[in-house]
Amino acid sequence: MMAQKRIAIYGKGGIGKSSTASNVAAACADEGYKVMIIGCDPKSDSSITLLGGKRIPTILDLLRQKIDVKEEDIVHEGYKGVKCVEVGGPEPGIGCAGRGIIVAIQKLKQMCKSIDDMDLIIYDVPGDIVCGGFVAPIRKGLVNQAYILTSGEYMPLYAANNICRGLAKIDTQLSGIICNSRSVTREEDIVRKFSGEIGSKLMAFIPKEQIVQDCERDGFSVLEKAPDSPVAGVYRELAHAIMSNEDSVMPEALEDERLRELTR
Amino acid sequence: MAEKDISIIHPRPSSIVAALYTLRDLNVDVAILHGPPGCSFKHARLLEEDGIHVVTTALDENGFVFGGRDELSSLLTKVNEMFNPKLIGVVGTCASMIIGEELREPVQDAKLDVPVIEVEVHAGYPNNTKGVLIALESACDAGIIDSDELERQKILLEEATNVEKRHGAASREYLTPSRGDLKYKVAEKVINYLKEGKRCLTIMNAKKETGYMFADITVAINEVAAQLGMEENVINMANVDDTLGLPRVRHHARSIMEDFKEKGITIHENIGGMDEYPIAGEKVSELIAEKYSDFDFAVITGVPHAIPMDNLAGMEVISVTNGPRQVIPLKEMGHTNVIVEIDLHPKTLGVTHIVESEFGATMREVAKDILDAEQEAA
Repeated sequence: MMAQKRIAIYGKGGIGKSSTASNVAAACADEGYKVMIIGCDPKSDSSITLLGGKRIPTILDLLRQKIDVKEEDIVHEGYKGVKCVEVGGPEPGIGCAGRGIIVAIQKLKQMCKSIDDMDLIIYDVPGDIVCGGFVAPIRKGLVNQAYILTSGEYMPLYAANNICRGLAKIDTQLSGIICNSRSVTREEDIVRKFSGEIGSKLMAFIPKEQIVQDCERDGFSVLEKAPDSPVAGVYRELAHAIMSNEDSVMPEALEDERLRELTR
Repeated sequence: MAEKDISIIHPRPSSIVAALYTLRDLNVDVAILHGPPGCSFKHARLLEEDGIHVVTTALDENGFVFGGRDELSSLLTKVNEMFNPKLIGVVGTCASMIIGEELREPVQDAKLDVPVIEVEVHAGYPNNTKGVLIALESACDAGIIDSDELERQKILLEEATNVEKRHGAASREYLTPSRGDLKYKVAEKVINYLKEGKRCLTIMNAKKETGYMFADITVAINEVAAQLGMEENVINMANVDDTLGLPRVRHHARSIMEDFKEKGITIHENIGGMDEYPIAGEKVSELIAEKYSDFDFAVITGVPHAIPMDNLAGMEVISVTNGPRQVIPLKEMGHTNVIVEIDLHPKTLGVTHIVESEFGATMREVAKDILDAEQEAA
């Protein structure tokens, strides 16, 4: 039996973490893997394209109503049996989202028995590691592989580089870099170089394709709605790469000056 | 005074609790703790003895995540109906402040006809006087005290902090708590000194309501001196000026003075208000230099470490504190004996008369034994 992969995808906000996570989840489900996706963003939009555009009740929604939460209340099956969980969070500007993640993760560990049967669990975490709560999945030992998603633009790379520092701080190794293209010049080259210089590797280059957006607008993953599109193939390759990846390193963040040079 | 660069590792009085006591001195009828149910439990309980209601919004894990604005505003409404208060205080806690709760909006939501003092405080300040200060500033904003009183209190608080840093609980990285010297040994010594005709200064420099018990030591010494026919050899100083401080603090001074009078005890030198313990030391020093430098021994009660040693150098000093962490610093200052009145504070809440101290009671008993033995021998 293969070891369970529990991955987290980090990266600058808006760079496409949820899109990538749900497409990879769908691709792995196509291959017959048992997959769970756990959305840790208070916006709770990680699993929406696996559920035909529907939202599911979040763990924190239920805890807020003081409901005695059961597994079936929080784990919802989506595309090809992918198990979808959303942590949820307080209203923006009120309470503490970080604490919310900690509480929800504890609840999930306690309630969710099916988590042990999974081949792949994807934690879709908020973009920046802003406080202790946002690294709870890692700190609680739930994640064993971290990936960073970036484009070849300066700011997402800057964020990626910063996340490398954060990972070193929380003693978590990096398993690879994924490039979600924004169609900027020399993009693949830049991200590949960056990956190498921090000591990691480029897992996939996902081209910018309108079809991804179109499927999302309809509430579906590319794998479900446009399985024959070239980008669906890229997601499949990425899924393979992730499932067979055994390498991980402690990334070494670049100096700001070097990062600037790289993107020039 | 320059800040000492030390990191104190023993837990110390909390700013949240300091804010609660300040609200009590401002005569609030209800104080609401906005935070977890167990926060400041012990003091909240004690304050009920003092006639105010302390309640909590009892934030739980959900409260930490989602905030407690509704919980606070509905609790305000509830206590208003239950207790019909004339003045309410709301106090922050570590948990509510860290998650960014603010107190103004829920107070406005509740739309009460009662003034509310909002104290946005947590326990993360190195000096607990910060809790007093925030409470007083908020009370000033709410028109409960005037700006003159606020300024006066600020000076006192700063001095109180300095006193603790110089010779108090904030003077060392870690202070081992101690029960001090045996009370009957020290009682015997004091009685013998009085008997020998030595001249005694009693100096009560008490912090607010703790005076109800420290005053008993002044009373006991005077009683024993009278029994020995030596009352002329005792001079009493006490900070019982009833024209200074917050209303409740003035009331304590008045009550204690009345008890002194009733017991026939003269306070020769009134050294300040009951909130002036951090600054009364100077006055004591001056008075000693002026009139009492030839006295043989002094018994200092309350906050003994606030009295400078300069002019006490020629006297033997015996002190009575209620802080077990105060014993070592006081001995280091040069006090020959240090006595601790354990659990003094709880016994002085909710009282309006002097209450018996362990040292006072011991002195009375030991004096009785000595006098009885002498009578038998005679």
